[in-house]
Amino acid sequence: MTILTGRKIKKVYGKKNNKQEVLKGVDLEVQEGEFVGIMGPSGSGKTTLLNVLCSIDFATEGVIEINGLKLNALKEKELAAFRREQLGFIFQDYNLLDTLTVKENILLPLSISKVTKSEADRRLLELTRLLGIQDILTKYPNEISGGQKQRTSAARALISNPSIVFADEPTGALDSKSASALLNNMESINRQKQVTIMMVTHDPVAASFCSRVLFLKDGQIYTEMYKGDKTRQAFFQEILNTQSVLGGDGYDA
Amino acid sequence: MTLSSLVLRSMMKNIRHYYLYFFALIFSVTLYFSFITLQYNPSIMLDMSGMKPTAGFKTASVLIIFIVVFFVLYANHLFMKRRSKEIGLYQLIGMSKPLIIRLLGLENIILWTLAAGVGVGLGYLSSRLFALILMRLLEQQVVVSLTFSMQALKQSLLLCAVLLLIVIAQSILKIRRVSLLSLFNASKQADERVKRFSGFGMVLGFIGIVAIVYGYYLSTKLFDLENATVTTLVMRMIIILAATIGGTFFLFRFSVTFVLNLLRLRKKGHLSITDVLALTPIMHRMKGSAKSLTLITVLTAVALSVLSLSYIAYYSSASSAKQGVPNDYMLLNGHGVTAFTEKLEENNIAYKSITFPIIQASVDIAKLLSGNLADSGMLNTDAQTEIISLSTYNQVNADFKLLEGEGAIVNYRGLLAELLPMTSNRPALVRTDEWEEELQIVSISKDSVLSTDNMSAVVIVTDAMYERIKASIDQTKYRWHEQTGIDLLDKKQDLKRAEELYVEAGGDRVPMNNSSSGQVHYFQNMSQEQMRQFNIESMGVIIFVTAFLGLAFLLATGSILYFKQMSEAEDEVDSYTTLRKIGFSTSDLMKGIYMKQLFNFGIPLLIGLAHSFFAVKSGWLLFGTELATPLMITMGIYIVLYSVFALLTIRYYKGIIRASL
Repeated sequence: MTILTGRKIKKVYGKKNNKQEVLKGVDLEVQEGEFVGIMGPSGSGKTTLLNVLCSIDFATEGVIEINGLKLNALKEKELAAFRREQLGFIFQDYNLLDTLTVKENILLPLSISKVTKSEADRRLLELTRLLGIQDILTKYPNEISGGQKQRTSAARALISNPSIVFADEPTGALDSKSASALLNNMESINRQKQVTIMMVTHDPVAASFCSRVLFLKDGQIYTEMYKGDKTRQAFFQEILNTQSVLGGDGYDA
Repeated sequence: MTLSSLVLRSMMKNIRHYYLYFFALIFSVTLYFSFITLQYNPSIMLDMSGMKPTAGFKTASVLIIFIVVFFVLYANHLFMKRRSKEIGLYQLIGMSKPLIIRLLGLENIILWTLAAGVGVGLGYLSSRLFALILMRLLEQQVVVSLTFSMQALKQSLLLCAVLLLIVIAQSILKIRRVSLLSLFNASKQADERVKRFSGFGMVLGFIGIVAIVYGYYLSTKLFDLENATVTTLVMRMIIILAATIGGTFFLFRFSVTFVLNLLRLRKKGHLSITDVLALTPIMHRMKGSAKSLTLITVLTAVALSVLSLSYIAYYSSASSAKQGVPNDYMLLNGHGVTAFTEKLEENNIAYKSITFPIIQASVDIAKLLSGNLADSGMLNTDAQTEIISLSTYNQVNADFKLLEGEGAIVNYRGLLAELLPMTSNRPALVRTDEWEEELQIVSISKDSVLSTDNMSAVVIVTDAMYERIKASIDQTKYRWHEQTGIDLLDKKQDLKRAEELYVEAGGDRVPMNNSSSGQVHYFQNMSQEQMRQFNIESMGVIIFVTAFLGLAFLLATGSILYFKQMSEAEDEVDSYTTLRKIGFSTSDLMKGIYMKQLFNFGIPLLIGLAHSFFAVKSGWLLFGTELATPLMITMGIYIVLYSVFALLTIRYYKGIIRASL
């Protein structure tokens, strides 16, 4: 089943005389249960694409449909409710609230939903066990490590059982060990719970955990690669090769 | 880019943060300038001859300087903290500290020059308005001519210059002392991460509440004269102040966090969005803001108490005149009665007159006082007291009845009645030259019947008793033996003319023969209207000056709260971005902000109101005769003006939240 469809997405910044076209007509489809990576040189429009797809930013042109719902037809308030109920977010700099404990941070998206407390607690228990953060629930974000913060952030993204999770450079601020631990977690959640994930990254290692990788160049999709039955190592090599074809110019890795 | 263009650009960019600061500076200058202008205006000062307005004005202008200095220091401190990153950046790109100081100095000079210019201009315009208000308060109808006062200009400019120097000195100190690294982190300081709540803090929080309640309790007993001396009175005042102010601090520092923490723990992690935006930030910031909130609360309480008390005094002008002179005119010993009434009739002014024959005897009221007050020696309980007969009293209160052997007390009011409360249905001892007899006092009233220059009580006895006392005491040795009360039937229409006639008839000047020297001197006997005007004139200046000060206090406290919230909003903008990203709408977030502002502005106001209520309640009798109305009016106006700052803050938050995604 198709979860996300994007048709001819364009994004233009600036006014008349000083226009900058960041996305130049992107078409894509994401199926349920996919783990899609978006790669590309810096300035290629990765993050802009993600923001537009997840309704944080508006597309100048084009149609975006998530779960059969057209995003441009929704008002601000409806969009907010939609994000809360249907989408999950993981950001590079965690975006946890300093004044809340880990548990409070994770439960935050449910605060104005109709999910009962016992159901919320059940989900919390399951997710934190899966992510290995069940022992730090009463701690504040400044008392835990970066890896733990990002796993907290992942738990928050998943607590509302979203149709799709958007991750923007989730491993960007982590050391390699925490990064691969997080990616392993994400991959297993993707497989076990059939959660659809879309992740922007510039790290080929991170991308090699995905089931499909899109390459973006100058605001357009340059190519896409499927992992298929390949091992992660082989997929990683392939990604590296494509990257070098794309040109090392302007890489921020 | 030159230094000056950099300064101008950064100012333009920061105008959003500046505008209230700038407005507050202008307001301070305006207030100060118009105040000094009034002080040096000869036509105003002439109209207030007899009083000493200059002293009041001088004290007030010194106080205004204090408030302004304090306020500017605090505001600049906050602004420096907010701009720490900018200053750090300047240093990072290689600007030396002296250069940055010059930069900031230049910025402040521009700001202050503008503020001084605009402030003086507005001050000149508003001084006319203030003069009008003052004359209105004094019920004077004079045209106030205002000239531009060079003296006021000089003083205002001097104040600005001094403040500018202080602000620059503060900035220099701040920049000199800090390292580059700490400048980048300055805005993160003072945020406390609440961990487990300690039992010690819980106890302190509880002590805070107890201290405030104890202070309030003590304030109601401040003038309890049983077993009290002057030293204990002073001690009590000190204890009350210490308990309430200390209690306020403890309340903010510990009690609030304690209560909120209990609420939070009860939710077991399932916080609502309002909790997230109001409860947790407040909890986590309480350590840093306890001091300033205490200060704001105390300032609010002081301002409100002073304002209420002076307004009570002003508001009571008429009613305290009515207590002093119960009828429109109270002529003494029959002096001028015929002259005055004839003149009234000539002018076709309708009136009603009542004659009160008075005798005096010694009446011992010791048994009417409660406890050991009678023994305390604070009052001579066995005093010469004015006595009127029941039939005389029935002229003003027809239904009043007394049995033989009974008596009643009227005119017992004000501070005396408060300090020395008497209980009825107890005996008083009447003593004449020949006999003494107990009189059962059946009622004690504070209503005025006679014009008494001191606040002594008047005793009513039955007609038979009256005659017996009169027969056994030689009344010629007493000064007063009759009062004639005259009321105008149409006061609105005839008052002005009647006042003139009263003076023409000489009712206000009662000749007294000094028996030993044979000289004649005059006793000033004011009419009720004269008394009211006298009260208004003496209180008008005070209410004007205190209102001025109250405005300055209000401005300072309101702005400080606003500034604090501004920097809090900026610290929390990341949270708002996150919350909006994960799907909370602007209106969801604003619900939390309303709660937060209700707390931030509401709690200091509420505690300030409570403090001032008890302060006013304990001492208002020294100032006037009416409590409820003037108190409510003062508090009402204060609350309304104060809310303006809360609304401004909410508006600011709305902007921040809208722009956060």
